[in-house]
Amino acid sequence: MRRAILAVIATAAGLVALLSFKTHSAERTVATPEPSASLPPGERSITGDVANTAYGPVQVQVVVATSKIVKVNVLEQPSSTEHDLQIGQFAFPKLISETLSMQSARIDSVSGATYTSGGYIKSLQSALDNGA
Amino acid sequence: MATAVGPRALLTAIAAGAVAVLVLWWHSTLSVSGLGGWLTGAGEILGLLAGYSVIVLVLLMARIRPIERGVGADRLARWHAMGGRYVIGLISGHALTIIWGYAVTAHTNPVSETATLLTTYPDVLMATVAWFLLLGVGLVSARAVRRTMSYETWYYLHFYTYLAIALAFSHQFAVGAAFTGSLVARFWWSALYLIVGSLVVWYRVVVPLHDLTRHQFRVAGVRQESPHTVSIYVQGRYLKELAAEPGQFFRWRFLTRDLWWQSHPYSLSAVPSDELMRITVQGIGDHSAALARLAPGTRVLAEGPFGAFTPVRTGRSILLLAGGVGITPLRAMFAALSGTVTLIYRASTWQDIVFQSELDAIAEARGAIVHYVVGSRQEFGGDPLSATALRQLAPGLHRMDVYLCGPPGMTGSAVAALTQAGVPRRRIHYESFEF
Amino acid sequence: MPASTSAVDVRVRHAEHVMGTVVSFDVPVSARHDGSLADAIGWLHWVDRVFSPYRADSDVSLLARAETTIGACAPEMAEVLAACALIRDLSGGYFTAAPGGQFDPSGYVKGWAVERAAALLSRAGSADHLVNGGGDVQCAGGRAAGEPWRIGIADPLRSGRLALVVSARDCAVATSGTAERGPHILDPHTGQPASGLASLTIIGPSLALADAYATAAFAMGPARARDWTASLDGYAAFAITAAGDTWHTPGFTRHITE
Repeated sequence: MRRAILAVIATAAGLVALLSFKTHSAERTVATPEPSASLPPGERSITGDVANTAYGPVQVQVVVATSKIVKVNVLEQPSSTEHDLQIGQFAFPKLISETLSMQSARIDSVSGATYTSGGYIKSLQSALDNGA
Repeated sequence: MATAVGPRALLTAIAAGAVAVLVLWWHSTLSVSGLGGWLTGAGEILGLLAGYSVIVLVLLMARIRPIERGVGADRLARWHAMGGRYVIGLISGHALTIIWGYAVTAHTNPVSETATLLTTYPDVLMATVAWFLLLGVGLVSARAVRRTMSYETWYYLHFYTYLAIALAFSHQFAVGAAFTGSLVARFWWSALYLIVGSLVVWYRVVVPLHDLTRHQFRVAGVRQESPHTVSIYVQGRYLKELAAEPGQFFRWRFLTRDLWWQSHPYSLSAVPSDELMRITVQGIGDHSAALARLAPGTRVLAEGPFGAFTPVRTGRSILLLAGGVGITPLRAMFAALSGTVTLIYRASTWQDIVFQSELDAIAEARGAIVHYVVGSRQEFGGDPLSATALRQLAPGLHRMDVYLCGPPGMTGSAVAALTQAGVPRRRIHYESFEF
Repeated sequence: MPASTSAVDVRVRHAEHVMGTVVSFDVPVSARHDGSLADAIGWLHWVDRVFSPYRADSDVSLLARAETTIGACAPEMAEVLAACALIRDLSGGYFTAAPGGQFDPSGYVKGWAVERAAALLSRAGSADHLVNGGGDVQCAGGRAAGEPWRIGIADPLRSGRLALVVSARDCAVATSGTAERGPHILDPHTGQPASGLASLTIIGPSLALADAYATAAFAMGPARARDWTASLDGYAAFAITAAGDTWHTPGFTRHITE
């Protein structure tokens, strides 16, 4: 029994030591949303729901000017592992530019193979639908 | 002498592996923050250590000959049992901190987060089944529960650990943060599992089958030594290649319809020749009775030799201290040792003494001394193997190398008495028979 | 999406999670006030309860397990089965209500349900609306002021991009493909996933038929699909092959915008 208690304490202490060494740098990237008041007239921001993905929460804010998306801010993205940052650096700019090109075609709807859900896409969908 | 990996070397290697695992976590984590981050980080570390420890436990039981020779089967079994309890703790801690950590990060409650993890995260359901399997095996291995079932039942239930390891493997790569982004990490982790798996197959399947065909073990004959003790003579060919040393044991599987599915460790009770080996089994149960009825010619699957309990030549006088069935390996040692040897053979009644004529003959031929200490404590009016008594039976005890074998209670008190009599700990060698 | 200042032209968007996907509505605000939007949504949920193969107690699941008869189901079930049989014959067996041997008319039901939802809105008086059921669109009228609806066709090979934009007025646009869920469409004759085409879009008056035709044509593979879709009366096709090439039937040309 005494050995068991010792093992638990030693493990917990080890965990605390390892984790505290890694707590120095910035946390997961949380950008502050642009409040509507600070935007030029005619533009307003719509914040999508937080979508919980396997690697952390993702939240997107869309800035709309007379029904046209002019900017996409990624408010929350997982960034605590190297993998998360890789995804963030690669995927989000690509997705943002894709969104704008889709938007610039001034379409009303998209026909494609049936979707279920996915973190970012779901968030964009909800932002568009929320913007109506 | 065959290559042997000592306990210190083995522990160092295991520790080095654990450090490497922690380095893996270190490299794959950039920062940790917030309660959710801390919990998830703890969960990742615990998970990595658990995945590593589980394969170490398998390695300990893989019957790798150099390790068995250097560390000893009894010590390996004890390490495995202790490690098993710790690993179950690691896995449970991993599961709980991950659930809690994910729940905090996603701003949901742990119950719904558990449901999310089980239904949407790949392979987590299988890993959870694996967790419960291991909890079950751990429960069944607890001494209180193990006593209620036969050894064979417990042994076969224990095989579910392999299933648990297989079930849990995929979730490590599918969801483990240290692995999803690193092909190198996945490669080395897979290599670790593959190598240990191969060692298990090699030493537990390939080598015994090879030995069976090469040496053609068969029962040569059976002799009743005493009411409860029977010696089994096993014949074969090229037995010298096995390089069995006095004090070592084999794991014996007698290939009859009733006995083929059981494997038991018994020490050689005589120095083996190139064609013949002898084991001596004491017992009152069905198994010993069945052994007494073994027909000559019965095929035997003999796995071994195992055991670190062998005499080390130091030039010192030697004391062999046997309690009850512990005489078996010491009888082999008694015949093989040169120099000044004293044998003290403790038993409760004269009925339990075996090999008396052999021991007396060896003693006379080699000029060695045998002391039979027979009787209950009441008859002796105290412990007949106290420090004082031992000093009288073996003068100059504190300068001797002592080899001790017997039931756990007897070995425990004997070690204490020997230490009290001035024998340094490093010169007391013993093997504890409780597996 | 246009936010106009005229009260009459105010439009409303709504996204409803139902039938395992998201159905998006673009309707005049009157549809919200007169309850027709709510009716359309309720209709979709009813279809889900009766036709979903993922609900153990739906009529489709009960029929699949032979625990009920068609006569005991809602009358719409017989209608759906009859329609499936016709399309099966028309497509030479490439459309089936029993993919992989399991009874599941979802290939027809989704388009049919969305088309009916749009019809509910029309009956209530809406002249311009669009209903998008997880990628299959039924529209009435145009987006506003005489302009047709502009519907983008997702590029199946590059996620997030469009392959094409079509103009649509009073018609349906249905797309079958591999982009979202991988090769889930099986060739009923071989039981293997259909390959050769990355996506196939059908445009025509009825979404129920367009959806079923798109599924059948996709399963046929590029060679057969082109000839078959060209033979359909009132329906046109646009396809993107796995290699990235495109083709379309003559009737599709007038819809292409950019």
